[in-house]
Amino acid sequence: VAWPGQAGAQQAAPASSAPLTQQDIARMLPATDMGAGHGHGMATYTAATHPGDTSTATSFDAASIPTNPLMPKADPIGSKTCIACHTQENIQASHSLHVASFRAGSERSGPQAACETCHGPGSEHAKNPTAPGSIIAFTHDSKTPPAEQAKVCLGCHAGGARQHWTGSIHELRDLSCTDCHNPMARVSPEGVLAKPSINEVCAGCHQDIRAKFNRRSHMPLPEGQLACTDCHNPHGTITKPLLKTDTVNETCYTCHAEKRGPFLFEHAPVRQNCLNCHDPHGSNQQTLLVAPIPMLCQQCHTMTRHPNDLQTAAGMGTGASPDERVMGRACLSCHTNIHGSNNPSGSKFHK
Amino acid sequence: DTSGTMRVGDMQFGNALDPRGWTPMLYPADPDGMSYLHAGMLRTPTGLPYRFPPAAADVKPLGKATDWTYSGVVELGFIHVGGGRNAEFFRQYADWKSGFALGLLALDFQNAKTGQYVELRGSRLSGDDQFYRLRAGQYGRYRVEAFYRDMPHTVSTNAYPLWNGVGTSDLTLPSPLIAGASTPGQVAAAHAGSSRRTIGLTRTREGIGIEGTVWRNWIGSASVTNEKRSGTRLWGGSMFFNYPFPDNGGVLETVRPIDFRTTDVNLSVRNVGRIWRFMATYTGSFFRNNQDHLNFESPFRLYNVVGTPQVADIKYGQFSLEPDNDYHNVRLDLSRELKGNGQFTVAAAYGTMRQNDALLPPTTCTGTGGIFIAPPVNYTFNCADWNTTNALSQKNANARIDTGLIDTRLTFRPTPTFGWHANLRWYREDNKTRYLAYNPITGQYGYISENGSQGSIVPGESGIFDPRNPLLHSANVTVRNVPYGYTDTLFELGGDWEVAPKQSLSATYTFDHNQPKYRERKRVDDQRIKLAWVARSVGGATIRASYEYASRTGDHYNYDPYKQFFSESLAGFVDPVTGIAAHTVDDMRKYDLSDRTENKARLILTYPWGDSTTLSATFYGSRDRYDTQIGRQNTSTTGATLQWDWQPTPATTMNVYLGAEGTRLGISNVADNESLIGSNIGQTNPSLGGPLYPYANQWWEFDRERNSNAGLSFSHDFGRVRADVSYNYSGSFGHVGYNYASLAALAYHGPNAAAAAGDSFPDNSYRSNSVDLGLSFRFTNQLGMRLFGRYETGSFTDFHYAGFDNTLDYDHRVYTDKGPQRHYSASLVGAMLNVKL
Repeated sequence: VAWPGQAGAQQAAPASSAPLTQQDIARMLPATDMGAGHGHGMATYTAATHPGDTSTATSFDAASIPTNPLMPKADPIGSKTCIACHTQENIQASHSLHVASFRAGSERSGPQAACETCHGPGSEHAKNPTAPGSIIAFTHDSKTPPAEQAKVCLGCHAGGARQHWTGSIHELRDLSCTDCHNPMARVSPEGVLAKPSINEVCAGCHQDIRAKFNRRSHMPLPEGQLACTDCHNPHGTITKPLLKTDTVNETCYTCHAEKRGPFLFEHAPVRQNCLNCHDPHGSNQQTLLVAPIPMLCQQCHTMTRHPNDLQTAAGMGTGASPDERVMGRACLSCHTNIHGSNNPSGSKFHK
Repeated sequence: DTSGTMRVGDMQFGNALDPRGWTPMLYPADPDGMSYLHAGMLRTPTGLPYRFPPAAADVKPLGKATDWTYSGVVELGFIHVGGGRNAEFFRQYADWKSGFALGLLALDFQNAKTGQYVELRGSRLSGDDQFYRLRAGQYGRYRVEAFYRDMPHTVSTNAYPLWNGVGTSDLTLPSPLIAGASTPGQVAAAHAGSSRRTIGLTRTREGIGIEGTVWRNWIGSASVTNEKRSGTRLWGGSMFFNYPFPDNGGVLETVRPIDFRTTDVNLSVRNVGRIWRFMATYTGSFFRNNQDHLNFESPFRLYNVVGTPQVADIKYGQFSLEPDNDYHNVRLDLSRELKGNGQFTVAAAYGTMRQNDALLPPTTCTGTGGIFIAPPVNYTFNCADWNTTNALSQKNANARIDTGLIDTRLTFRPTPTFGWHANLRWYREDNKTRYLAYNPITGQYGYISENGSQGSIVPGESGIFDPRNPLLHSANVTVRNVPYGYTDTLFELGGDWEVAPKQSLSATYTFDHNQPKYRERKRVDDQRIKLAWVARSVGGATIRASYEYASRTGDHYNYDPYKQFFSESLAGFVDPVTGIAAHTVDDMRKYDLSDRTENKARLILTYPWGDSTTLSATFYGSRDRYDTQIGRQNTSTTGATLQWDWQPTPATTMNVYLGAEGTRLGISNVADNESLIGSNIGQTNPSLGGPLYPYANQWWEFDRERNSNAGLSFSHDFGRVRADVSYNYSGSFGHVGYNYASLAALAYHGPNAAAAAGDSFPDNSYRSNSVDLGLSFRFTNQLGMRLFGRYETGSFTDFHYAGFDNTLDYDHRVYTDKGPQRHYSASLVGAMLNVKL
């Protein structure tokens, strides 16, 4: 299902194989359905501008048309004109959640909530389609800076999950919304993503993190059970790693609620930060540990008697003197409640 | 416009059959691509390729007199799993089973006039690996959602538990073993008959949620999720050491039950205006553990080390499992746009986590515990005085941690080419839990260590302090919990400049002031400078590079801040004539508190190579140096990735990936001279180089790891048939080496100690190779068949499991898990009928 009124620019093209001139294109375009040249009065569709409209259409039909800083004098021309050339875009975009929602609104109350809601007024672009910056564009060759691109998206999507976009690491690294999203087609089950899944989107830049998920112990992202965005909010948060909660541990507790406690007896590095011992993305050790045990524990535990001996190959099951401090779960064979114990005799996490 | 990415969890619904959760084969890539006006693919602003979009779904009217339309696909068929189907790594998070499978059920209903929609998506590999989700709403107004999912997690497929009752909270020994009276030979014989079991769990989650406009610009959301987690996990069981006491003690790898239920509640309301943006959220989480303990029988008889007749009969062990807990968090976020293209944001939150579970008694032993030597040297205790909750100073945990947060941020971009920001964050974690280990029955302090086993093997080590008993008035044991907490204050100032079109530089300074409570330091300051360069058009390429330098310092390091939590702090404690042995070596620096310098660099390159090819690469490294003689000394990471993507036409895609990473971790430690413990020659001296921690006992250890990855995928659409193939390799190699000042550093001092120790553990390795092949036949526009297969092979070695293939029993040690399979190969083939609905 495509937008109504599509003209099909290619079908209307001259039979000649000569390239189209801008005058050719201008002649081929249908008349605007928004009164181009009437200024920006149509840029905001409100109850005041359309007092007779009592429809219950979606809020998108009141979306404003952003100004294109590179073409400040351009006027809206309406989607009908856009679609005259952008036929295929129309077909694809109509099946994305994003444009489908626009479409639902515009069918009830007008076409302003359409192409130009994101791309800005199109009159200059229609006159001179190949002029750089004539339209707000969101792809690699765009002359529109990422910040301007994001401003367009935030025109509707500000707040909520994007409350902390400004100043976030992705904003500071000049990412645009369309680095991760493609609202012009449905290639993902949801979220109008640029790739078929969240994890593939993130791996576009974070390739080294993706590789960690192939390790011996890992979170089940390759198996499709989790996404990066289960823990991280790429739209910005108040934490540096873009965690969804206020601290690392609170994020972990969301799934591992049993670790939350509080326990009668706490283990200091556990309570302080799960990352002291675990790499949540993947590890070559068991249970996402950052180092093999007992070495992991012996970084801190130099206490007198049994913790501070150098464990060697002699302590393996095949060694000269099998030692429980090396074999199997090593330290955790005895200090099993290492995340904290609620037992009155559990101060050493034995119980 | 929903708040999904605000909340943790349930962002992804997929499985190992289709990790994306939506790959309908009847929607091949549209041969016309994205646009008639642009040849080839389009790229993101960074330069990565957008995928060619799939052909639009066939949308059909739902009826004659309705504006509703629908589209849908169903994919169902059979899977056959062969070879090492039970290999741990093959089924770690996938419940592969031969039989019927629902690949995908996707139904979309839309009303183009009203903007209403209904979506259903589901998939089923097995009863433990499936998901179904229903969403409905009206674009821009509201959305309701409900889901159900099962997620498997296999921990081990190579487990041989000795005990009966696996999966319950009571593990009993199989006949003919007798608790506390079996020999290692008898245990090994009984264990040899144990059945192989799979250890793992299933997360079953269901949830409902709604989000929508409440009034004008006010948007509200509410959701409730419930998770039942059931299964088993490998666990421990300590009846005191075996290594120093042959034919004594007991170290047991048991299996614990997992029987959790967690209910999460999320509520939010927000108002988004042009100037102000406000959001209030409440998060509640309520964890319930249906098993509060694990009891286990220990087969071995214990002997005291002084050789007197054993009066104790300690044969049971017990763990407290995780208590129920409640969590509440309320947070307010407020942002205001400022003149001069600025924004001010403040976030404030209060959270509390609490639990008040009934405490278990200090021990489950009966009769007499401890050791009787000769009058008046009597280290026994009456179990009846300790195996009751009347032996506790409080019956419930009454544990509570409160958190507070204020985070403010000021951002200005006065000109298009310059911006700056300042951030001030304050966070506190206040642990209010207070517990005194006092037994009102006996008037004694402390606890019963390892259910009575320790004190029944070593005289005076039962865990009890008694100021009235000369035998126990110098016992230095834990008598209070340590209510760890901290306050963290962070200030950040940064600026960025666009130094040329599409090029910017940024610099950020961060000062992180941490004040831990009851730790070795009272103040830890981390200062960090980060420089970044972003260039979005260097020969068409995008480069994002950053470098950061950090320096961490702090106040005086107190190597033993825990005296107040031990009986030495209580009235009536008598210093032993030999003094109290040093808690640890004073040159020890715990790595989360020690002085440290850090250097990190990262470069991400994206290069559009021609119209259809993209090269992307990452180079990264970090170097950490810890200023300490004992403890973690250094870490380093160096890695690179390289990826090549090729999309010449919508019909063809290809991808090649390579990655390599090396890491190193170095630590140092020092074995204490245990022969001095209890003597008056230097056992109180904590100095490195002193009699208790002589330089001759120092040792060094390093862990060196290498990881390599490679992948290739190719897909081509021949028209009616699409072929796809992919290959993935993942390999890791770990080497733990060590050296030492003298043999005194070693755990094993027996004959040929140096030869037995060598200079390293055997290398650990993990390798996985998998090949996937698929053929998708589109018989008609509505009907198709996908044939697919996977062959996966892997290998694994880990020194922790060395010898376990031969035996799981070593003197008084009993292990359960033999570890992942050393070699495995598994395969699956499947046929899925695809129908458009």
